[in-house]
Amino acid sequence: MTDPVSPERPAISYAQLLETNQLIQACADSTYWLCLTRTVQGSKLYPVSAYILLSYLNAFYRYPSLIRKVEASMPAEEIADRARQMGVKAQNSSIGWALPSFYLLGREYLINLGFLRPQDAIEDVITVMDFWKRFQLSWHRNDGHLTNADYNQRAQILPHSAVQRFAGEMHKVEPGGALSVAAQRFLATVSQYGFLVSAESRISLTNSGPYRLTDDSQLLMRDFMDLGETSLPWLDDIASDMPFNNLTVAMEVTGCHFHLVDDWGSFESTPEFTPDRLTGIGLYTSDTLSEGHVPVGMDTPETLTAMLDDLSDRAKAATDKLWLRMAEWSRDQLIDAGALSYYAICKEIAHIAGVFDPADWLEIDPRAERFRPLLSDEYADTALGELVGGLTLPSQQTAPHGMMKWSDKPTRVLTPLPLSVLNGAPFLPRMAPPMPGGSHLPAKNDRYQTTRGVLSLAQYNEAARAFVPKSCRPEENFRCETARAYPGCDR
Amino acid sequence: MTQLPTDNGLWGGEPDSPLVAAVHLSVRDLVRRRFTESGLDWDAFVAGPIDDVITKDDLAAIDAAILASGHRYSFSATISAVERPDAYQGLGALEGGFDHPDAPSEPADADGKALCGVGDNVVQGAADVTGVARYVRSAAQVIALMEEGVPEGSIAIIDDSGGTLTAPILESFAGLVCAGGTVRSHLGILAREYGIPCLMNVRLSGVAEGDRVLLETTAAARTADSYLTDTEMPARIWKLS
Repeated sequence: MTDPVSPERPAISYAQLLETNQLIQACADSTYWLCLTRTVQGSKLYPVSAYILLSYLNAFYRYPSLIRKVEASMPAEEIADRARQMGVKAQNSSIGWALPSFYLLGREYLINLGFLRPQDAIEDVITVMDFWKRFQLSWHRNDGHLTNADYNQRAQILPHSAVQRFAGEMHKVEPGGALSVAAQRFLATVSQYGFLVSAESRISLTNSGPYRLTDDSQLLMRDFMDLGETSLPWLDDIASDMPFNNLTVAMEVTGCHFHLVDDWGSFESTPEFTPDRLTGIGLYTSDTLSEGHVPVGMDTPETLTAMLDDLSDRAKAATDKLWLRMAEWSRDQLIDAGALSYYAICKEIAHIAGVFDPADWLEIDPRAERFRPLLSDEYADTALGELVGGLTLPSQQTAPHGMMKWSDKPTRVLTPLPLSVLNGAPFLPRMAPPMPGGSHLPAKNDRYQTTRGVLSLAQYNEAARAFVPKSCRPEENFRCETARAYPGCDR
Repeated sequence: MTQLPTDNGLWGGEPDSPLVAAVHLSVRDLVRRRFTESGLDWDAFVAGPIDDVITKDDLAAIDAAILASGHRYSFSATISAVERPDAYQGLGALEGGFDHPDAPSEPADADGKALCGVGDNVVQGAADVTGVARYVRSAAQVIALMEEGVPEGSIAIIDDSGGTLTAPILESFAGLVCAGGTVRSHLGILAREYGIPCLMNVRLSGVAEGDRVLLETTAAARTADSYLTDTEMPARIWKLS
């Protein structure tokens, strides 16, 4: 089953290990806080914990190779430029937390099952964390932080000019008026659809911001993604009436402060955001092939109201059809949809780089698949709880004087790379590349809905590779906020 | 006995859950046996044979051994117990109402209000909410309500804190009472988006299908900090006579 792995020992420096361990710790701190304070999930429909553990394993075995494939086409920092400028699904929750954390939690799980030493796959770990670091630094370049947690739970991704544009284009909303009612219904309906699309996860929804508009009003950007027949196979023939794969709502809110926008893209506000505080709204679509955010139904307040109502109707109809499809699925199909939703949370990096392949992103690798028989509901619920919350697995115990951030206990979420490899300790550099896998779900149709119409995969990848949006051409991309503030300096 | 490289964790121990410990010890024993049989050192073993000689059938045998011990798994997703009734505890747990051992209880007051539960309020509302309790705990119940329509003024009593089981019908409820989750669970997020009054993480007892209930949705919304510090912020539920 396994391809032979090169016995060559890669050169790894002390500085590389120190930096990688710092990045691992940043993910660990973020993971613990998010898992403890943000959520307790349970579902009568989906075996959630079982699919999460399977997704972690799939991520561990496959992400390093797929990241190398993506970066052979486009480096992480350029992918982040595209994501920031274009609003596609390479947002904070997808890359900021999930990409490194799914991979590292898969590694942690396998260490506890005896399959790995902490130093095994060391080159893979460095590859994943280095990709993540460069993506994050570019994605957050306007605020200069690595994560939202570093910025006291805030995500000011957009440059000043973009905030000005969204603020200037939005339509005013009167509480209780037609646009207000339509907006609230749309936000609820598309959120509901998004949870179903992503198999009982919040992967299809994220938020960024806030941005100060006035002393009493703020802008929050709300993204709803993977809504159409684009890259999730279970939406084939279900989402054919959804005209947009991604929608972004620019939301002006008056009288409440968004004090938290976390690395899962969730928001909290003081006081609680309620519909009567919505005072402005804009609606946009975007994807890998668009020149950034394209207005949707924005001509007048009336056309926007009609568009929101129409999209709500379509999302509601698609929700009912998709739910009935899922209600008939077997446990293996439900697990695959959930595991692939999770695992493929960062698939947009392959779309942006023009190298998307369903065999890479929509299959369970046989090395992960072999664990499926262990993943009963009870085992998966308790094992996942111990892995991300209880921190009771053997690899997560530290010396008794330790006081972990947030809990003060001698525990940790993730195991660092051991420095002993610098003294000659043996290690396996890389895991073998992805192996031909499968899924219990139907294969993806060769139909990819984009802002340029429905394309085949070959057309989509080719178009993505050929396209450089104006905002990402060097003359525009590197006119950063500092350069704009000193217009005489770049001549 | 052959040692695995990760057997000597200085600060290790075993997982808290006996089931997780049993599974992990069994898997590690399997790895140990196959490692010994390979005759290789660890570097060579982990670089190749480990993925060939530890198979899905091997791991299925561990599941079978656990069931052979008499253990039956609790289920979270209904499909798990439906597909493997021999492996899971029965679906009878879904029948009847909730009977939480820590639910508060007081006799009816002069207005006919009897305290029967507490939960975490998602959004502080301007008024409390009254409605008719309707348990929703299975896909079959959801399908029936899709076909017949959710009666006006219904309050869903559910133990699914997710956003999928009730997806087609959620917007039709006047209120939500959920026996699990937190105010940040998917159901809490959706309740906030729809503007439906909602109590999460509820301890409830003595409410039957069709009972009229009153939710204290004017209570303060539970905060993230209160979860971190384990500080209760209870909103009450009364049964109305």
